[in-house]
Formats: sequence, structure tokens, C-alpha cells
Amino acid sequence: MAGGGSGSTLPAGRKATLAAFLQELRATRRATWGNPFGYLFIAPALILYLIFNVWPIIRGFLMAFTDYRFLYPETRWAFNGLANFQEMVNDKDFWFSLGISIRYSLMVIPTVIVLSLFLAVIISRVRHLTAFYRWVVYLPTILPIAVTFLMWKEFYDPRFGFINANLKLLGIHPLPKWLGSTKTALPCIAAADVWRSIGFPTLLFLIGIYNINRELYEAAAIDGANAWQQFWQITIPLLRPTFMLVLVLNSAILGATEQVMIMTGGGPQKATLTIGLYLYNIAFTYGDLRLGYAAAISLVLGLISAGFSAFWFKVLREE
Amino acid sequence: MTAVPTAKERGSLWSRFWHWARYEGFFAHLVMVVALFIIFIPLLWMVGTSFKDRLEFATNPAGLFPRRWSLINYEFGFTQLENLPIYMRNSFILAFGTVALQVFVCSLAGYAFARLQFRFRDLIFLGILVSMFIPRSGGLMALYELMTFLHLRNTLIGLILLFASGIPVPVFIMRQTFLAVPKEIEESALIDGASWFQVFWRIALPIAAGGMVVIATLSFIGVWSDYLVTFTLIDKDTQMTISVGIRKLLRMSYDMALSPRFRGKFAGEASDTAMLLIAAFPVILFYGLLQRWFMRGLMEGAIKF
Repeated sequence: MAGGGSGSTLPAGRKATLAAFLQELRATRRATWGNPFGYLFIAPALILYLIFNVWPIIRGFLMAFTDYRFLYPETRWAFNGLANFQEMVNDKDFWFSLGISIRYSLMVIPTVIVLSLFLAVIISRVRHLTAFYRWVVYLPTILPIAVTFLMWKEFYDPRFGFINANLKLLGIHPLPKWLGSTKTALPCIAAADVWRSIGFPTLLFLIGIYNINRELYEAAAIDGANAWQQFWQITIPLLRPTFMLVLVLNSAILGATEQVMIMTGGGPQKATLTIGLYLYNIAFTYGDLRLGYAAAISLVLGLISAGFSAFWFKVLREE
Repeated sequence: MTAVPTAKERGSLWSRFWHWARYEGFFAHLVMVVALFIIFIPLLWMVGTSFKDRLEFATNPAGLFPRRWSLINYEFGFTQLENLPIYMRNSFILAFGTVALQVFVCSLAGYAFARLQFRFRDLIFLGILVSMFIPRSGGLMALYELMTFLHLRNTLIGLILLFASGIPVPVFIMRQTFLAVPKEIEESALIDGASWFQVFWRIALPIAAGGMVVIATLSFIGVWSDYLVTFTLIDKDTQMTISVGIRKLLRMSYDMALSPRFRGKFAGEASDTAMLLIAAFPVILFYGLLQRWFMRGLMEGAIKF
């Protein structure tokens, strides 16, 4: 390619040598690197991924060991060793909100699993309309998260919400305050979250059930096992990989942020201040915008989630 | 469910019904109908309430549906809230921009990973897939810094680039799609003197259109519905999307319902539900029209585990 323009100024003999050399170069390059179009084709996707996905992972990790406050740009690389983690140990709000998040996860995850398994088993038993049922069960999941939780907020409204308006008709006098009470606020948000997140696990369980060999059930039926026994002896054990997948995917619930941000903003009296919202506030709402400390909390949270995932992986892995 | 002997005693009609019901999964349908109704109550209530005017809402807040249907909430939303069209426009720009960019770059990459021979190909592909499972701890904080540094905060372009960069699953789906295309067609085109790009553009891409619809659907719904990232990176009204701006719209409509100009015409709570439906409508429509592709995408994304 390079030889083309300057060809006329070179003697014919050298031109031929150059051409041969270039051809050889091209051949070796092709032998070592393969089709150059390959790199060209993956470049745009790879560059986007490196800038907006890989870099934030690296930077987020490094940031956890700095005292970066966004309003003071000079603190950007102010590494402070493990000081953030020491601060965390003594941070009462950290432990408090971590407790809230664990309680929240314990409300949401088991409920999601039981209900989605139930729905999947039922859907797997019908012959018609399965596509329609799948569609409907998944519908709440695709709604914008803000729409979902604002809708539930209106639904729980103490005066005009659907629940209390109907309870009033039934003559129940001290109407529950739902999101307004420290006792019921967290379960209410958890219920809305279950409603929203049930779709995907249902699909996963459904795929798992479809993949179980029908003959197993027929053999069990011949041996006299009833539907209940079949469910416990065949369906549940063979769904192990699906259980693992669902649990791993659901461990993200520990970081629940938007749910409480939209519905209660952490209130009443911090009753719904999840760790996700707490670290979000530290990073983007309070004071100096302490991105460093928030990144450290986020890292701990990520490690806890990864720990849970690893635990489930070990427990449920097929022998 | 085990009452088969009693069914026989009761005669043939019951027994026939019983057999039909067992075959068809009648009881499962029954349970599903009840379950779906429970799942649907909040949605039905939202739809019903959005058609209630002030009087109807005040006298009948408990009903799923209004006794008299009124369009006042929608009329108000579309004529009085000047932010609504701005947010909607931004959401459409963001969603379509992301879809276009992502489909383009992921098709190219998926094709290269499926078809072209080059060094480190499989290593790079594996790296992308594995890196997907690294938790994004501190990712949001790092993104905030990065976007500020690139002067992309408060811009839709920044969000488009960011959302389009979620390539692992789309690239995986596109690679699978291209692998399913018979190689012979492409080879014969190459022999006839077509370039790699021509083969990609004129032959492989049209065949792979199915995969592209799948990733477009996944990405459209994901981007339209995003809250946290958009909320963090956008705080200007002119760049706000509907999924985040909806909270502001609700406050505005609530205040307007109490203002002297609109007093007595509609209830803030009822008009809220209309706003929510307007915000959710595009995804519901998209999901309804393309659900087959969407499900395929979910399955293909999930099965790789």
C-alpha cells in the first residue's frame, strides 16, 4: 500500500523487491494475526466496553481505598489505605442499614422463590395459553422501576389508596398506615419488590421444568408416587441448577436502592434505610459527596453478595 | 386431585368432565386465573383510577374501575404539563439512540467472533463474558467521575454511549445468531469476489435480523426503564427522561390539582396514575408487539449459564 505513491521515483528493480517484501510482510502478518477485519469489527464494541464498563470496575475498586470527595477534586487519588474500612466498622448507620438490607433480602428472596416456583409448576401443567401466562407473569418486570414503585406508593396511600379505601368500606377503624409506619414500611416495599421481580425466576424455573425428562414422572407414577411426592422427589432435586441461578441473580437484592429511594426515601425514621440508599446518599446527597467512602461500602456489599453466591454455588452444585 | 374413584360413581358426565379437566390442565388454569388476577390488581387499579375525575375519585376510591369514565386526567397531562413532551422526547432519543448504536457495534463484533479468524479471538470473547460477572462495586461512583471528566454528564449522548456499552449479552446473542447461518453461502460470495464487509452487510446481516430484533428489544426496554443511572447522571430538566422525570411530573400534577385554576376538576392522585400509564405505555407496547423476540432473548441470555 505504501509503495504505490512513490513507485515512479524508484528504480524498477528496487520497486519489485519492495513489492515482494510487502507481500511477504502481509503474509506473515496474516499468519500471526489472522484477518485484520476481525480487529476492526470488534473495535467499536470493545472500546465502548473498556471505557464505560471495564474502567469503572477498576476505578471503583481503587476508589474504595481513597478519601475522594467529589467537591474537592484534588482528593481524587488521595489514597488512605484501609481507613474507609476502619471508619465503616465504627459507623453505626452502616451496620444499621446493613441490617435493614439483610432483613429486606430475607423477606424478598424466599418469597420470590416460593411464588415463582409455584407459578412455574402451574404453568408447566397447562397445555394451552402458556405463552399468554408467561407474557403476563413477566409484564411487571418490564415496567419502568419508577412507575412500578410509584404505582405501589399510590396503592398503599393511607387515605385514597386501593387497600385502605377498601378496608374503610369493610369498616376497619384504625386504618393501617402502611408506608407511614416503621413496622409495616419495609414489608410493604418488599411486597412490591416481590411483585416486580417474580417474572424472571418463573421463566427460569419453567425452562428447568421443561428440561426434566417426562419419563421420570411416568416411571414414578407407575411406582405409585403421587403428584406431591413426584414434586419433591423429582422436580425439586432436578431443578438444583435453576435454584442456584435464581439465588445468585437475586443476591443483588441486598443492594436494593431505587425501591426505597422512590417509595419512602429511607423513612419513616430510617426504618427503610437500606445499605444501598445509605451509600447512595453518602456519595451523591450528603456534604462533600464522599465517593471514596461510598465506593468502600459498595465494595464490602459486593463482597458479601459474592460470598452468598459462592455459598449457594457450593451448596447446590451437582455432585 | 386424586378423587378419580368417586368421579366414576357420580356417572359419566362428571367423569367425562374430570378426564377432560385432567387432560387440559383445567385446575391449573383455574389457579392461574386467580394468580393472574392477584398480580393484576395494582395494574387494573392504576388503569381504572386514571379514568376517574375528581368527583368519581372522591366518592369511589375503592373501586377498581370508575362508574363514569372520564378522560380529564389524560387531557390535563397532555395539555398542561409542558415537561411531559420534553421527557418523552428525551426517552425516545435515548432508547432509539442506544438501540441503534448497540445493534450496530454488537452485530459487527458478533460477526467477527463467529466468522473471522484472528489472533486472541476466543480469548477476547471469553474475557468479555467472564468480566460480566465481576460485581460493579463502586461502579456508579466511578461513572460519575468518568462522565464529569468526559463532559458527558447531563447529556443524552453520554447516556447513549454508556447504555450501549453493555455489550456482553448482545454480542453473545449475535455470535450465536451468526453461527447458525450456513457458512457456505458466505464462502460462495467470497469466491465470487465480494469483500468481507460486503458479505457481512449484504448476506450475513439480513439473515441475522432475528438476533438483532432480540437485542434491540432487550435494550429498548432496559434503557427506557432505567432509573438509578439516569437519576445520578442527569439533573437538568432538558435532558431528563420520563422514567426519572415522572416523579417531578407527579408533584406538578398534584400541585396543579390543588391550584385555583383546576380546583374541583381532577384529583391529584388520579391524575398521577394517568401519568404513570403514559410513562409506561411505550414499553408495554414494545413488549406486547415483540414479546416473542424478547422471550427468545431472555432464554438465550439465560441458557448460557
